[in-house]
Amino acid sequence: MDVKFLTPFVEAAKEVIQAEAKTTIQRGNLSLKRTAVTTEDISVIISLVGEVEGVVIFSLSIPTALKIVSRVIGQDFEEFDDLARSGIAELGNVITGRATMLLAKNGFNSDISPPTLIIGRDVKVSSVDFSRIVVPLIADIGEITVHLSLKERKTAGMQADFIPAQLDQVKLQQANALDK
Amino acid sequence: MKAHLLNPFLEAIHEVLSKEVQTKIERGELSLDTKSYTTEDITTLISMVGQVEGNVMFSLNMESAIKVVSRMLGEPLSEFNDLVQSGICELGNVIVGQASIRLARAGYETNISPPALILGEGAQLSTLDYPRLVVPLMTELGLITIHLALKERPGAYQPGAQIETPNIPQAN
Repeated sequence: MDVKFLTPFVEAAKEVIQAEAKTTIQRGNLSLKRTAVTTEDISVIISLVGEVEGVVIFSLSIPTALKIVSRVIGQDFEEFDDLARSGIAELGNVITGRATMLLAKNGFNSDISPPTLIIGRDVKVSSVDFSRIVVPLIADIGEITVHLSLKERKTAGMQADFIPAQLDQVKLQQANALDK
Repeated sequence: MKAHLLNPFLEAIHEVLSKEVQTKIERGELSLDTKSYTTEDITTLISMVGQVEGNVMFSLNMESAIKVVSRMLGEPLSEFNDLVQSGICELGNVIVGQASIRLARAGYETNISPPALILGEGAQLSTLDYPRLVVPLMTELGLITIHLALKERPGAYQPGAQIETPNIPQAN
């Protein structure tokens, strides 16, 4: 996966978690993996479709999830119930949404899918032929690991602005020819 | 989930499975589920984005997966290796891709994500506020269950999309 897609996600994750869960976040050491992700208690899977495509996985433990949801919603959670589930999924959604806005600023438009939640340890999630960057985010309430398996769609340039730009070029040449 | 979103998938499944895997398919009873479900050995997850959005899951056990990919490739495989993983993902990709083409014909523009593979049974998988339509398919190679958690984006349906633009009468 391309490192240029990393920064928007780290920025978005820091911004959103710091604002929503009122905690500061440190980024741990990055690593590049080719194997499948072995899940922690909870994984939120969100796909990106567009000029950047692939899968983003947020992985965290249940105690961390409960602490985050408690802070986000402002009430104490004892168990990982439906409200907590939807809170964690929504957090993943907001972070990914924010990251795609930052990606769009860099010229890569993409859409995000609705989140899927996996609850259960030691399940393997693989993005098949994509390598992934592992980003550990460390806060006082625990650790959230973000797995990014993203790549640039090969035809992205073609569909984005290749054709209009060429047309403009043709118009420009025609205009120049008229001037002469 | 509405029936006019289901039919493109059923058609795509029948077409792709009968062509690629050469098996008879018998569809079991459909059911709608709002809770999370427990995964089987293998789940292929593909997301759909656009005028119809949500997630599609293909769920089957390891034995069936090996048999399915053996048929697809025309060579007998005995273990669940990278080739089988890639083959199962590709099958999901082709089916959802075909369904997406059919949805486009019916007036819904969609895009699909690359597949993600979830290996390991017994985890809870939830699509949250997207209810899942469960389609069990009995094949000669085992049971393949397809979960469709899709919603139409409000105001997306354009019934006029199928009608061709009438020719403009030419002035003589």
